[in-house]
Parts: sequence; C-alpha cells; structure tokens
Amino acid sequence: MSTVEVSGLSVRAGATTLVDDVSFNVEPGTWCTVIGPNGAGKTTLVETVAGLRRASAGTVAIDGELVAAMSERERATRIALVPQHPVAPPGMSVEDYVGLGRTAYHGVLRAPSAADRRIVAGVLERLELAPLAGRDVATLSGGERQRAVLARALAQSTRVVVLDEPTTGLDLRHQVTLLELLRAEVAECGLCVVATLHDLTLAAQFADRLVLLDRGRIVLDGAPRDVVRDEELARRYGMTLRVVDVDGTDVVVPVLSGVTAT
Amino acid sequence: MSGRPPSTRRVTGVAALSVVALVAAVVCGLAVGPTPIPVGRIVGALFAGVGVGHSTLSPLASTIIWQLRAPRMVLGLLVGAMLAVAGGTYQGVFRNPLADPYLLGVAAGAGLGATIAIVDVSGGLATPTWTPVLAFLGALVAVAVTWVVGGRGARTGTATLILAGVAVASLLTSAQTFLQQQGSPTSIARVYIWLLGSLASASWGSVLLVLPYVAVCVTVCVAAGRALDVMSVGEDESRSLGLPVARVRLIVIVASSLGTAAVVSVAGLIGFVGIIVPHLVRLLVGTSYRRILPISVVVGAAFLVLCDTVARTVLAPSELPLGVVTAVVGAPAFVLVLSLRRRAIT
Repeated sequence: MSTVEVSGLSVRAGATTLVDDVSFNVEPGTWCTVIGPNGAGKTTLVETVAGLRRASAGTVAIDGELVAAMSERERATRIALVPQHPVAPPGMSVEDYVGLGRTAYHGVLRAPSAADRRIVAGVLERLELAPLAGRDVATLSGGERQRAVLARALAQSTRVVVLDEPTTGLDLRHQVTLLELLRAEVAECGLCVVATLHDLTLAAQFADRLVLLDRGRIVLDGAPRDVVRDEELARRYGMTLRVVDVDGTDVVVPVLSGVTAT
Repeated sequence: MSGRPPSTRRVTGVAALSVVALVAAVVCGLAVGPTPIPVGRIVGALFAGVGVGHSTLSPLASTIIWQLRAPRMVLGLLVGAMLAVAGGTYQGVFRNPLADPYLLGVAAGAGLGATIAIVDVSGGLATPTWTPVLAFLGALVAVAVTWVVGGRGARTGTATLILAGVAVASLLTSAQTFLQQQGSPTSIARVYIWLLGSLASASWGSVLLVLPYVAVCVTVCVAAGRALDVMSVGEDESRSLGLPVARVRLIVIVASSLGTAAVVSVAGLIGFVGIIVPHLVRLLVGTSYRRILPISVVVGAAFLVLCDTVARTVLAPSELPLGVVTAVVGAPAFVLVLSLRRRAIT
C-alpha cells in the first residue's frame, strides 16, 4: 500500500508559474481526481507527480521516498502513467504493447520471463482484451485503445497509477466502462489513483476526493460533494453552472447564454 | 492492413530467405569476376581451408580468391551489415523513417577528412595511410560536434539533434568542396572516387582494421532492438515505462556512429544501404526492431556484396563506383517498397 505525498510543489516554465505551491496527500485505496479549467496546470501537476517533469520547488514522495531521486526503472515499478495522448505504435500487437509495462522488471536486454507473461495475460483477461491480444494496437477503436493503455499501466504492477484525461475522445459508454474498470482495480488491489478529468459529473461520480485547481493553485480540496458546488465552479470556469441532484448523483450542467437559470 | 503484425512463421521465413541471399552473395563475391572460377572448386577450397579435403584451385586462382576477392567480399559484408544496422537503429532512435547512418554528419566529416588527406595541401600526408585515418577522425569529430551543438540528446528532443546534424554536415561539406577545388585535377578525381564509395582497395588489413568496430557496434545495435521497441511509444512514455531514454540514446548513437565511421573510412561514402535495407526488412517483418535489426545485418551484408559484384564486373576491367550501383539498385527498390507499403496501408 502506498501513499502519495505532494508537498509545496511548484513548477515553472521560464517566467510562467504552471503549478504554484500545491500540497496534498493521497492514501492507499483512494481515487483523487484533479479538476479545473484549461490551463489550470492539471497535466503539469500529474506529469510532475509521475516524475516526468522536474519541480522548481517542493517534492513528490511515495511512502516517504522522493520520486525525483528515483531512477527511471525504479520509478516505473512505483508509479504507472496513462498519458493524455498515448502513442499506439503501428505494427505492435496488443499483447506486446501491454507487455511494455513489464520493461522495468525484465530490462531491455532480456526477454520477458514466464512471470511477466503471466501478469500480462492476467491483465488482458481482466480488461477483456484477451480476444484482441494478437491485434495491431494501432488498428484498435478509441475505447479498445484506451483499455490497452490502462492495461499497460496495470501490467506495471505499481501501487500508484496516474492518469491524465484517460477518457479523452471516448463516447460516454466507453468513458464509464473505462472508469468502472479502474474503480474495480482500486477496490480489489488498493491502488492509489491520481487522475485528471474534464467531465465534472464523472469526476464527482468516480473519485473519492476532488482537488480543484485554478491558475496552478489548489482552490478547493475535499469530498466530491464539498467541491462540486455551482458557485465555486462557475467562478473558476468563468461560466454559469448548475449542480443538479439526479437520484443522489451530482450532475454538473452548463447554463447556456440566453437561458435563464431558475 | 490486416490488423495483425506479421506472424512468427513469416518472420522465420524472411530470416531464412535472407540467409540464403547472404550465401548467394558470398558465392557471387568469390566466383564472379573476369577470371571464371568454378563454384565447386571454390567450395572445395573453403572446406580445405578448415581442414576438410584438398583444394583443387590453381595457384593463380587461389591467389585471386584469397588475396583479391575474399577480402573484398568480407569487407563488403562488414560494410553492408554495419550501414544497414546503423540506418535501422537511427530510424528507431530518432523515430524518423528518413534517418540514415549519415544523419549526424558522419559522411560530411569523413568526406572532409578524406579530402584533406587526398588533396594534401601541406604535402606531408601519405594518401593510402592517412585517408582512412582522417576520414575516421573527421566522422567522429562531426558527430561529436553535432551531439554538443544539438544539446547532447537532452529533453529538447531529437529534432534539435537532427537539425544540428544538418547544420554541421552543411558546414563540413562546404569546407570539403572548397578544399577539393584547391587540389589538382588528379586529386579532384580521386576525391570523387572516394566520395562515391568503393571496395577496390580492400585487403585483409582493412578487414582486420574495421572488424573489431563492426563486431562490437553491430552487437550493441542489435541488442538495442528491445529498447528501440519501447521508444516507439515516444520519449515520455518510454521513461514512464522505466527506460533510461537518454542513456539508451547515447549508447545507440555512439555505436552506430563509431561503426559507420569505421566502415566509411575504408570504403568511402556508400549511400542507400542504410535507408533502403531497414525499410525493405520492415515491410517484410513488421515494425519491431528486435526483428528488423538482426535481419537488416544479414540483408545489408548480402546487398552490398551483390552490388559490389555488379560494380566490379559490368565494365571490367574498369569499375563502377559502388555508391552509383547501390543508388541504381536502391532507388527503384525504394520506390517499390514505398508503393507496396502504400498498397498495404490502403
């Protein structure tokens, strides 16, 4: 079980501050989603948590160990990343693609071991990708491809999974399917998830905790019900929003200009 | 597109065919020439060389085989294997299908080095000795300058490195052209011959000179296949999967450049092998560098020896520049590969 500790994290690009003094912890078995308008610094934040960007100040640690001090190989056994725009290399089978998740374990000079292959087969089975194992990953549909990317991350057998807009480009059914698969993994394996999502309704439905980011700073942090509040969201997103209760679920509805909110 | 990568059976078939092509190239390299020598006698001499049976070659034929054709054929194997695997490796590490072994300025640096030796403005350089030495040094200096100017392969990306290679190559080519113009008509002709590539000066000495470089560099490049497969998902994703991208890139570029510099220093600038062979192999066995690189070694070796056989026999006793033959064979083959690939995609 792993805890992610983000402490006083700032990331700058030249004179621009992308993430400004951000601190939060994510406990094992917890799903934390970072929300916020475009340019809030969500992607920069999760990329820094995943060790792909260097922090200008502050630290990210997993169980007390600094992510920035880890080698690529060590980091890949502690944190898995589902990027916003994953590359699907043409000509690579789904099985080989998911098998890339085992790179840190067998290295690049040795073939995957029987244990590596077993883990990949298990993940393919769990994510219902086994029938597609021999397919070229570049020929998969959007939903299948995102499942393959998630499978690759799960094949890394890490306790922390970082996802940057994992539902980009998917229709609603595939978005929900993917997030449900992830929720099952969190429940069964006690994963610690740090994700970003644009869809506020789905973010509120699936996360245990939401962090609202605006201009690089945390403006709200708490349970979805405490963060998804129409006046706060409206202020941060710069538009009129309504949070509507539908059968106990908070649904965020944009109020279009010219439409009177009642 | 079938939606499935090529099967293992198909890959095995292609690998077997490439070995057959290699054997055919070796036989052609030894048997074909102005003095006809029967293949059976050559095979008998080869077995006799390892202590099986007796050689039935005449002393003249034996000299032709062992002192002229065999070293040339072996050098051709080494040069072809190195250029092909270096091209494939560059295409993988730069994720750029247009990459070839000369991308970072090896050719321009070697060309300038060789031109300095051949034109010999100072008059103190003995051409046969200094041409390969200065070509080798010129190639390595060019790549080193490209590496430093291009940000040492840092996260600014490979595009900066490629652009630095273009700039360094342009500068060195200008210097080489200027220097060439200062030479005598004879030296200008010799520079041209060197630039177009040739195995005519091959000897067991030159084979032994490049063999250690080629052996080590080809091994490193082939071993990098799995890392290059990981890198096919891009730099950030590769790093998140545990690949030390910067280190892999450095090792692969050093191995490819060092091996290319070594073979170019003895054989001149032979084009097309490094770009056409990996592409042809990719079309047949798919996009995995674990498959492309070892098969490219075999196909590149066979391709160059066959081209050299054409180069030295078509206008015998004169020789065609090897670079011309590889281009004449390679360009149409390249067009064919592209059209087949287009058809496969559509």
